[in-house]
Amino acid sequence: MLMEKLKVLHVDFAGCEGCNVSIIRAYPKLMNEIELDISYLRDGPPKYDEYDVALITGGACMNEPRILEELREIREKAKVIVAFGSCASLGGILRFARGGQEPRPDHRNFQPINSVIPVDYSIPGCPPTPQMLQSFFKFFMAGNESRLRLFKVTAGLKKLSGFDLIDDIVLTGLCIGCGACELSCPTGAIRLVEKRPTIIQERCIRCGTCYIRCPRASQLICLGGEKP
Amino acid sequence: MMPIGENLLGQFRGVYLARAKDEEILKRKVASGGAVTALLCYALDKGLVDGVVTSKRVKGFEGKAVVARNKEELLEAAGNSWSIVPFAARIKAKIEEEDLKEVAIVCLPCQAQFFGQMRDFPILETDFGNRIKYIISLFCMGTFAFEAFLNYLRVRYGVRAENIKNIRLGREFLEVHHNGTVLAIPLKEAFSYLQTGCLVCTDYTGLWSDVSAGFVESEPGWTVLITRNARGEELVKGAEKEGYIELRDGSHVLGDILKRAREKVARAQRNMAQLF
Ligand SMILES: Cc1cc2nc3c(=O)[nH]c(=O)nc-3n(C[C@H](O)[C@H](O)[C@H](O)COP(=O)(O)OP(=O)(O)OC[C@H]3O[C@@H](n4cnc5c(N)ncnc54)[C@H](O)[C@@H]3O)c2cc1C
Ligand code: SF4
Ligand code: SF4
Ligand code: SF4
Repeated sequence: MLMEKLKVLHVDFAGCEGCNVSIIRAYPKLMNEIELDISYLRDGPPKYDEYDVALITGGACMNEPRILEELREIREKAKVIVAFGSCASLGGILRFARGGQEPRPDHRNFQPINSVIPVDYSIPGCPPTPQMLQSFFKFFMAGNESRLRLFKVTAGLKKLSGFDLIDDIVLTGLCIGCGACELSCPTGAIRLVEKRPTIIQERCIRCGTCYIRCPRASQLICLGGEKP
Repeated sequence: MMPIGENLLGQFRGVYLARAKDEEILKRKVASGGAVTALLCYALDKGLVDGVVTSKRVKGFEGKAVVARNKEELLEAAGNSWSIVPFAARIKAKIEEEDLKEVAIVCLPCQAQFFGQMRDFPILETDFGNRIKYIISLFCMGTFAFEAFLNYLRVRYGVRAENIKNIRLGREFLEVHHNGTVLAIPLKEAFSYLQTGCLVCTDYTGLWSDVSAGFVESEPGWTVLITRNARGEELVKGAEKEGYIELRDGSHVLGDILKRAREKVARAQRNMAQLF
């Protein structure tokens, strides 16, 4: 049986290209299931008027009306919006932007995509691996909502970082000392001291990986659908 | 809140009662029917995995992460450690040091969730989910804040950590075997020394595992096994076929497991209401 391929649009806003490279690397193994419309593979504007999924990478610069406009247009065009990577889903390292910085001193504030339009799934990671995207589509196309619940719930959150992990899980006494956060931090910002995580502040790039990988935190947000 | 019931036990294929056939396994201080140890022996013997990451009780309640590559090493780790073993941090080093390509991991539901999520959703380049072949989760009502609990045992009962030989969980008591005697502590009393995080935990059986293992009071000497996917089902059926475990249907104990699972969720809801 020949299934019609999912039409997937990729749009990149402010970011470092890491997420884009991940998507490109993931594509060869996804080609049978999805048709990816990505700026690297075409000249000119997007091919179709409607898409099944839009993958958005990079955060939204709130000082660029054009970007906010474009995001709203994508929301109209795509049935499902996936924020891919920490910048798009949680703000990530873009949260450090505060204006007055070269090359665009006028860019003062970046937000995750869900500050501008409703997002269906947020996949943190700085950047998430190609395998992550392949897995996402595997579960998405199988309609396995229970496996994807964490990403669905994350789509409703605007900020998750090591600081939130410490505040919500460690300082509330809910940490069980499993060490998952330490292992999941890409920058080594978390160390377990006396079986509890501590954070090296200046290393935390606000990627949110530790938070969604903490079994206590991810169970709690999946249950309640919001941060404690 | 999620509708209760839907997610109590997660998706599963089969529920069984199992017991190790090997006398040597049963002679050890296995936790219930020794089926977990037997499954792991089978997986190692047949080359389904090249190592098993599990926990060995070192002192009192504490366990440490160990890699077993043969039956003898597995036997040394049989039985329970009553604390969280900070697997995550050490396991990666272990897997890499020993260059294991396909491992089975025995862990608690929270850890199964971490490993399961990592295997299904490899966010990081450094993830090693592709090396994890089997996730075996033990049922769990909680782990102890063991410094606090040991202190309590010493002050209240005069029991010292170094003298504890074994700890067993019963329906109503936690049995602490020490110096040739058994101290039976009512569960209610013991459970007040659980980690706070465990008091809001809702997963009793380990929803992210391939096989979950626990016991029910009505079938002493047997391990309850829940298989969750084809991979878990094949492991259990293979172990039976090759004579490692005795296996019977366990659907009649499903009610007992559900009851415990429901208790755990109710406890979590009560505590969450208090904490937040
Ligand atoms: C903290 C804790 C709480 C539990 N609570 C319940 C409960 O409420 N209800 C219930 O039905 N069952 C519970 N169990 C599981 C139960 O006690 C048995 O482990 C299970 O029935 C398997 O028995 P078995 O004889 O087949 O295991 P065995 O053949 O003895 O094998 C057990 C395996 O688990 C490993 N292991 C033990 N402790 C740990 C640990 N902390 N972390 C990682 N690996 C470990 C051992 O190294 C061994 O490989 C709990 C276990 C633990 C550790
Ligand atoms: S502590 Fe590490 S994993 Fe957590 S948000 Fe910061 S950088 Fe990311
Ligand atoms: S992952 Fe969560 S529960 Fe585990 S040590 Fe880190 S904060 Fe604690
Ligand atoms: S009660 Fe939950 S958090 Fe605590 S050890 Fe068991 S599975 Fe982990």
